[in-house]
Order: sequence, then structure tokens, then C-alpha cells
Amino acid sequence: MLQVGGLAQLVVAGLTVGSGYALVALGIHIILRATRVINFAQGEFVVLGGLIAYTCVTRLSANAFVALALATLAGFLLGLCYERFVLRPAARVGDLAVTIATIGTVSILLYGHALIWGSLPAPLPPFSGTAASTVELAGASIQVQSLWVLGLLALALCALYAFFERTTFGKAIRAAANSPTGAQLVGIDVGTTRMMSVGISIALAAFGGTIIGPITLVGGAGGVAIAIKGFVGAVVGGLDSPVGCALGGLVVGVVEKLLEGAFSYGIADPIVYSLLLVALLVRPQGLLGRRAALRD
Amino acid sequence: MSERLRADARALPVLALAVVAYGFAFHENATLVQAGTYGAIYAIAAIGLSILLGNVAQISIGQAGFFGVGAYTLAYVTTNAHWNFVPAALLGTALAAALGLAVGVVALRFRGHYLAMATLAFGLIVVGVFHQSAALGGANGISDVPFPQFGALTISGLAAYWFSWAMVALVAVVSLNVLRGRTGRAFEALRNDELAAEVAGVPTRRTKILAFAFAGALAGFAGSIDAGYLGLVTPDTVGVQLSIDLLLMVVLGGVGGVSGAIFGAALISIVNLYGHDLENWRFVIYGVLVIVVVTLFPGGIVGSLGRIAARRRGSREAPPIEQQSRAPAAPAPGRAADAGAAPIEWLRVRDLVMRFGGLAAVDGVSFALEPGRLTSLIGPNGAGKTTVFNAICGIGRVASGSIAIAGRDVTGWQPHRIAGLGVARSFQNARLFAEMTVLENVMAGAYRLEDTSFVADLLALPAARRGERVARERAREMLRLLDLERIAAVPAKELAFGDRRRVELARALASEPGLLLIDEPAAGLGASERARLRDDLLGLRARGMTLLLIEHDMRLVMEISDRVMVLRFGTLIADGLPAAVRADPHVQAAYLGAAG
Amino acid sequence: MSAALLCVRDLHAGYGELAVLRGVTLDVHAGETVAILGANGAGKSTLLRAISHVGADVRSGTLTFAGTDITRSSAVDVVTLGLSHVPEGRALFTELSVDDNLRLGAYRRPRTELAASLGDVYERFPALAARRSQIAFSLSGGEQQMLAVARALMARPKLLMLDEPSTGLSPQIVVQIFGVISELRAQGTALLLVEQNALLALRNADRALVFEHGHVALEGSADALQRDDRVQAVYLGGTVDDA
Repeated sequence: MLQVGGLAQLVVAGLTVGSGYALVALGIHIILRATRVINFAQGEFVVLGGLIAYTCVTRLSANAFVALALATLAGFLLGLCYERFVLRPAARVGDLAVTIATIGTVSILLYGHALIWGSLPAPLPPFSGTAASTVELAGASIQVQSLWVLGLLALALCALYAFFERTTFGKAIRAAANSPTGAQLVGIDVGTTRMMSVGISIALAAFGGTIIGPITLVGGAGGVAIAIKGFVGAVVGGLDSPVGCALGGLVVGVVEKLLEGAFSYGIADPIVYSLLLVALLVRPQGLLGRRAALRD
Repeated sequence: MSERLRADARALPVLALAVVAYGFAFHENATLVQAGTYGAIYAIAAIGLSILLGNVAQISIGQAGFFGVGAYTLAYVTTNAHWNFVPAALLGTALAAALGLAVGVVALRFRGHYLAMATLAFGLIVVGVFHQSAALGGANGISDVPFPQFGALTISGLAAYWFSWAMVALVAVVSLNVLRGRTGRAFEALRNDELAAEVAGVPTRRTKILAFAFAGALAGFAGSIDAGYLGLVTPDTVGVQLSIDLLLMVVLGGVGGVSGAIFGAALISIVNLYGHDLENWRFVIYGVLVIVVVTLFPGGIVGSLGRIAARRRGSREAPPIEQQSRAPAAPAPGRAADAGAAPIEWLRVRDLVMRFGGLAAVDGVSFALEPGRLTSLIGPNGAGKTTVFNAICGIGRVASGSIAIAGRDVTGWQPHRIAGLGVARSFQNARLFAEMTVLENVMAGAYRLEDTSFVADLLALPAARRGERVARERAREMLRLLDLERIAAVPAKELAFGDRRRVELARALASEPGLLLIDEPAAGLGASERARLRDDLLGLRARGMTLLLIEHDMRLVMEISDRVMVLRFGTLIADGLPAAVRADPHVQAAYLGAAG
Repeated sequence: MSAALLCVRDLHAGYGELAVLRGVTLDVHAGETVAILGANGAGKSTLLRAISHVGADVRSGTLTFAGTDITRSSAVDVVTLGLSHVPEGRALFTELSVDDNLRLGAYRRPRTELAASLGDVYERFPALAARRSQIAFSLSGGEQQMLAVARALMARPKLLMLDEPSTGLSPQIVVQIFGVISELRAQGTALLLVEQNALLALRNADRALVFEHGHVALEGSADALQRDDRVQAVYLGGTVDDA
């Protein structure tokens, strides 16, 4: 049976991979708030971020942090284009069209990645030490990279909080999502805020892909799985609550690792997906969401 | 029949010809034959998704789950229990249909992206179960599935090509039967405006569940054939990728109807074959195409071609809409208003309370309507008038109090059941079924009067065809009475505003109601249109219909009402003859503003 | 007569296919308060929405504000020029605090003004000052209305348009709101006021127009219209003889 050390290790591993899901979930939340649509391609942008970082490291000989910054910036710019050239035109047709357009994007990115980077997972260098560096904490062997991941996640969350709660533009974005009419009446350009929201969301995805890259490996078919688990996290935590989304993502990660540790590798996935269905049936607004938000 | 369905049916012989030509031209080439066979198998599943997505507007990215159920069922019973193909395929289809029913029930609770996610989760769970199930071969699936055998004939190779496409033909015919009949009309109405459909008498929940079951059945059937053809089924081949592929096929070919789905499936299957070396490029291009098509050509390739062809053929559509001044129309009387029958007390509202987030929008309203009279409900903005209407129709939750229609307590009933008692309603903003023609809108209004079942539609039984004819005749008669026949073939979204209201009225009258609720019929009308409206309403009253009207046009109200009720802040502050109400100081204060 | 601050000429406006305003002409001069009266569906709200370009479409006609042609402008431009609109539904940022709502009201103004504007607004609306960190959706109906007006004032508008500010509010709150309106009048802000409560509006305006079926049916000074029986006819139907 598992000892405390083993359990702690699983939890940390779960929090680590859960950080990726949390960032996906947060990205989904931001896009949902801004465009009223679920971006099914969110996971692919996570993978794309990691792959861009990989290119920065291998081709530009950048260090891990510079690669992280570049990938995040690239994600932001891609997000702007994504809103302008995919989401906005589709929105003119209808919500169903946007959903389908995001699924089309999955196809483009999933195979596009393989085209450019090949279909084998690409190893990203860790942020410090080697991939195998560990630290002893409370009798458990924790990967150093995990600490980086959790630290950087916390950093990202703080940055987001500061932006949305303390800057005028951040508040303008929230206001536009809250009441587009009210926003127009005070002179906020709702099209711009929408574009920025998507940009931030994809930047977040790219950031996430880069920080978990060294651990989970980027590329391959991982994007779909990350996206789905990110959704599960968002739904479980509450699609309309940013804290809920982040928390939900972490919870899903931990549950996944615990299940894997307790049973076999393959069993975690169906159970996690069932969790989605259960959540949608029992408490669709999630743990921290509000019932009222469901009407959207 | 709508233009879209006609175009759909017209495309089928063309596709059939292409299939036959292909079969003869390439019968020596095993690879091409195989691609064509896959095209057929996926076409069957794609048709189901196309109808679900295009005709009922329910998204599903989990169709592969049903496909898998059909495939695994056939694989299992043919390898383990030595069943023959036909019973095995029937079982696979039935199980998939049953599962579709269950998914449909669950799907009722979601819409939009929640629905997409729920169906995605469903598909993933099904695959997960297949993966984990030792009895179903785990990750390796089931192999050595025998070819379908009909006596001495083994269905494989070229025979499988013809067989599969024959099955496509069968499915296409059956699907078109459904779309052309009462069920298809219910689908369309539901897709265009769910609320209006429900209020018009369409049982929307049952219809949605039926659509999911149908799409599931078709996917399951396709899966069964696939297992028999391939000889093998594994979890990987029935996963998310397949669901996405099916969506691709349907979107590219054209959402809604049959021919688009067939075309899309065939196209993708052939391109898949040629693009085998271009594995990744293929899917990148598909993705781009999906985005381009869904954004710029919502009708898909087939839909767009169809529209171009229609334009070239010239407009067989309605002549320009003219403004005419009218003699009073005489629409059909209410069912209960036969001479000699005792007038029913159509509506009795007792102490009705409706709340929205803590506020009582309707706060203890009681009244009963005298049959055959025109009663107007007036009041300042936000007084709760539309809420009262909604309550009578079954929209919204009644906090307390009761509503009785024709003597029956209908509190808490679903709108389509209340409609079934003979209540019809028009909305403030004329909620027509935009993509349906005027005639179809009116036919949809008469849903409750028809009794053709889904199965009868499916099999195009004589009873179903007769029912269609009768429904069409009845609708034409209604249009004649309201002088709308000239625009019978015009899609509702192209109507001029004044006509829109009358078509909605025609639709409401089509169900031969005894009680008619009309919400702000004069809004946005010009002077001559208002005069025509007045004549219409008086004509209806003359025929014995009971009318309840919400209106702001005071001149109209005072002119035609037998009785006026004034609502303010959710309660009735006046109820009586028009002149008395107008002179009532409370009413004047409510409208003009109290002194001080 | 000085050039009008707001000129509306032969305005046709509506929602998509639905034509509501069928040729409306009116002026609002600097410093004056004009009331728009009429039954529901007459087009009062549509007028304001067409002018501010939020929620209604201008089909034809011209709109001029402070000398600039705003017929085809964007909503953002209109606000920047000094025209603020408080809609019937208030359109508050319900998930943000009172303070944030107000700050965003000054979105188009120079940052240097912000502190002073906030100070002024909190002084005028002490109830809001007491609740500055409260989330907007938890305010009472009257407080929300105040917040909506206050937010519009943060933009220091030359012309403020109010759509039915008294709807759904208790008499005391209505008195408060109209107290603010009187102060604004005294300070020289031009006001375009849509109200269903005709007498209240007429008592607080300089001029008034009565709308009927999308065009102007009556027009005159507020005093004159208060004594005019035809106003009642428009609201309650019937002819002058019945009044």
C-alpha cells in the first residue's frame, strides 16, 4: 500500500500535471466570458506553446525562461489572430458555427504540429538542474521541475489577478463581458476587449504548455487529452469562476495521479471523463460557480 | 415541401448515378472500391448526424460512441454466438438507438457548448469502457468477425461496395420520409424557434430525444456494417477522431438533410485514400475547410451548389408582396364554438403569483374570461402582462395560484400540452419559424390536430401520406381565409413586417383554438395595417373565439374590447368596461403619473 | 437662437427589419431639458438608442451633436463627444464594485480628471459613497439607478439622456432621482428625458414632445402641455371630446 511519502509524491505529481489543466481551464474560462463559447482547441494551443518553446531552445539556443517568455508572447499574438480570423467571422453565423470552427481548429493544430515538429513528443529542458533532479520534502522525493511548475502557476495566477482586478483595461474587459451594452455606453470597444481576452487566454495556454513540457513532454496526441481534462476541471470547479477553474484543474490532476497510483494506468481516463458527465448532471455550475451563469 | 428538401431529393439521383458509375469504372481496383465502401458506411452515420445537427440543431461530438456500440455488438454476437449478419446488425442498431434515447434524455438538460461537451464525454466514456472491458477484447478489440453472408453470397470486396451503397439508399429514403412528414416539420420548428414550437403544440422534448435516438440508430447501423466489412473492431477506430471526422464530413458536405452528408462522406473517404501520404496535410486542410465553410458557406458544398442552381433556374418564388387594403377576413371558428354547444369557461386564473429572483412579477392575479368575448390586458411597462400570458401558456414556474383551461387545472403543464387543449398564442415579436415557408409555418401550427406517428412517417405509410395531404389542404385554406396565399411559398425570414404578424396569426389559428392570446399585435404597424388588424380581431370575435389581448395602442383597445383589465406592478387595478376603465382615476394615475 | 446641441432630422430608426421611428425631428439646446412622452411602443426608447448607437439601427435621417455629424458614428465616438445614455435596463456592470463601475464611466476621459470626478460624484450621491466597494448587483433598485446615472456623469457629458429613470422605483427614490435631475438642470447640463410618468416629466422639463406610433404628435413647452387634454388622449385612447 502507499506510504505517506508515496502519497505525497502522487499528490505533487497530480498538482504538477494539474497545473497544466488549471491553466487550460482558466483559458477556457476567459474565452467563455469574452465570447460565450467553449474553445475546444484550447489544449492544442497548450501543445503549440510547448513546441514553440522547444524551437526557441533548440534553434535560438535560448534558455528555458526566455523560451517561456517568447512562447507566451507568441501565444498572445496567435490568440489575437484566432479571435479576429476564426472566432469573430464564425460568430456572425451563430454559436453552433463557432463551436464547429473551434473543432476545425483542433484538426488544423493537431496535425499541423505533427507536420512542423513531427509526431514524436519533444523533450523540453527543465528550468533548472536536470530532468531528474529531485528534492527531499517530508520524506518524499519531489521533482525540482514540479516546484518550478507550481511556482510559475502561482506567478501566472497573481499576474492575472493583478491585471483583471487592478488595471483599468482588465476591468474594462470584465465589464465588456458582463454587459456589452453597458460597456458600449461608457465607450469601451467591445471588439477590442474580446480580442484581448482571447489573446490572454491563448497566451496562458502557451505558458502552460511550456512549464509542464519538461515533465509531460509536448507534442503527439497529448493536446486532446489535456483539453478534455482541462474542461473537466473547469466544469467541476465552475466555468464562470476563475478560482473554480484553476482549482478544478488541480483537482483533476490529483485525482488522475491518485487513480493511476492506486489502480492501473488506463483506468484514470474513463473515470475522469465520467466525472465530467456526473458534474454536468449533478452540479453543472461546478463547485464554485453560480446557477445563474448557466442560462448563458 | 420546402425548397431545401426538394433540392435534397433532386440531388439523390445524381449521387446514385455517380455511385453506380464509380462502381462500374473501378470495379477492378480494390483500393478504390474499398474507399468507396468506406464512403458508404460513413455516409450512413453522417446522415444521422446531419439531421441531428442541421435539422434539429443539436450538436453531438460523440457519434462515434453509437458507431462503436453497433460495431462491437455485431462483432460480439457474430463471433461468440454465431448470429447472422441481419439479426446482428438489427441488434446493434437497436442498442445504439436505445443508447441514443438515453443520451437524448440527458441532452435535454444542456444546450450549446454544454451539449457538445456532454456528447464528447459520452463518446469518451464508451471508448473507455471498450478499452477496459476484457470480454470485448480490451485494447485489441474483437477480430475475426465474419463477412455478412446471404446464403451463398459473401459480402466482401466489390459485393460489399454495392451492398453498403444499397443500405445508404435505404437509409436515405427512410430519412427523407421522416423529414418530409410531420416529424420533419416538428424538427424544423424546433430548430427555428424552440419556444414558439412548444407553444404551437410540438412536444419539443420528445422530439429532441427522438432525433438523438434516430441519429444514434443510424450511427450504430453504420458501425455494424463496418465491423462486418473490416472483420475487426478496436477501441481506437471508434474514438474521438471518428466523431470529429463525421462532423467534418457533415459540415463540408452540407448540414441538414441527406445528400450533403452522403457527398461529404464520399468526398472525405476518397481524399483520405489519395491523401494517404499527405496524412497530416490532409487534416490541416480539412480543418481550414471546415472553418471556411462554416463561416462563409453555411450550407456546405452541396447547399451552396444547390443555391446557385436555384438562382440559375430562376425564381419560382412568390411574386412581390403588395400592400392591400382589406375587407374583413373570416378565419375558422374555434373548435368549441359550435352553435348550440354551451360555451366553455375557457380560462380561470386564481391568485396567480410568479416570481423572478425574489420579486413578484405577478402578485395575486385572478380573473376568468367570458367565452366569445374580446378582453384586453393593459398596463404600464413592466406591469407583468407578458408574464401572465406566459403563465397561461405554461412558460415559467408558477410560484402559487392556479390556472384552469376549459375546466382543467393546467398549472405546471408543459406548453405543448396546454396547446393541445385548444390554446394558441402569438408573441410580441412575431416568432415565426424563419427558415420555413409561410405554408409550413401554418402547417406546423396545426401539429396537435394531426396524428401521424414517427413510424408511419418513416415507412411512408398511406395513412401518413394522407395525413400530409389533409394537413397541407387545411393550411392552404387558412392562408386563403387570411389572404396570405400569395406568399405561401415565401420563407418566413423574407416576409415584410406587416405580413409577419398575420402569418403568426394564421399559424395560431391553424390549430383551431378556442382561446387565443395575442401579445401586442399592433406594435410597429402602420395606420392601414392597424385597421386591417382591427377588422381581423373583430372578425374572430364574431366567429365565437375567446380572445385575450395585450396592447398599448389605447385607441384600438378602447375601440374593440368588450372588457379591459389593467395590470400594474403585478396586480389588477381595474377590470371592467372600456369607458369605465378609462375614466378610472387610478388608471389615469398609473399611466400619466400621480400628482405629487 | 443658438445652434442646437443635438439636432435630429427626419430620423427613421428601428431594429433590423422592424421600423419604429418614422421621421422624427427635434432639437435639444445646451442647458435645456426636453422630455419625451408617449405610450409604450411609441418609439421613445428607440430614439435614445438610435442616438447613442447602442441597441437600435439608424435607417435614414441625420443626427448632429455639438456640430459633429454622428449619424454613422460608433457608440464609442458618441460617448467621447460628450453624449451619455442611461438606458432603461441600466446596463450596470453587475459583477463589479460601485467604485469600478464609476471609474469605468470615465473610460474615455483623461486620467487626470478621474479623482476629481469621483469626488464630485460621491459627494452628490452619498449613498454610493457609503457602498463604494459593494458589488453592483447587491444594490437596491434605487441605488442601482443612482449608480447608473452617476456612472454616466463620470463622463462629464454635455448632454445626458435618461430612459425612464423612475421605472420600478418607490416614490421616495423617484423624488431623490429627480432631485439629482434638478441639480443637473441648474448646473447647465442638457437633458433628454424619456418618461412614462408624464406629469412627473412635464414638471421637470422645459419642453416636451409626445410620440405616437413612431412620430411626434404633440410638441410644446412643458407648462403648456401639462394643461393640454390631448396628452391624456394619447395615453389613454379616445378623442379630445371624450376627455
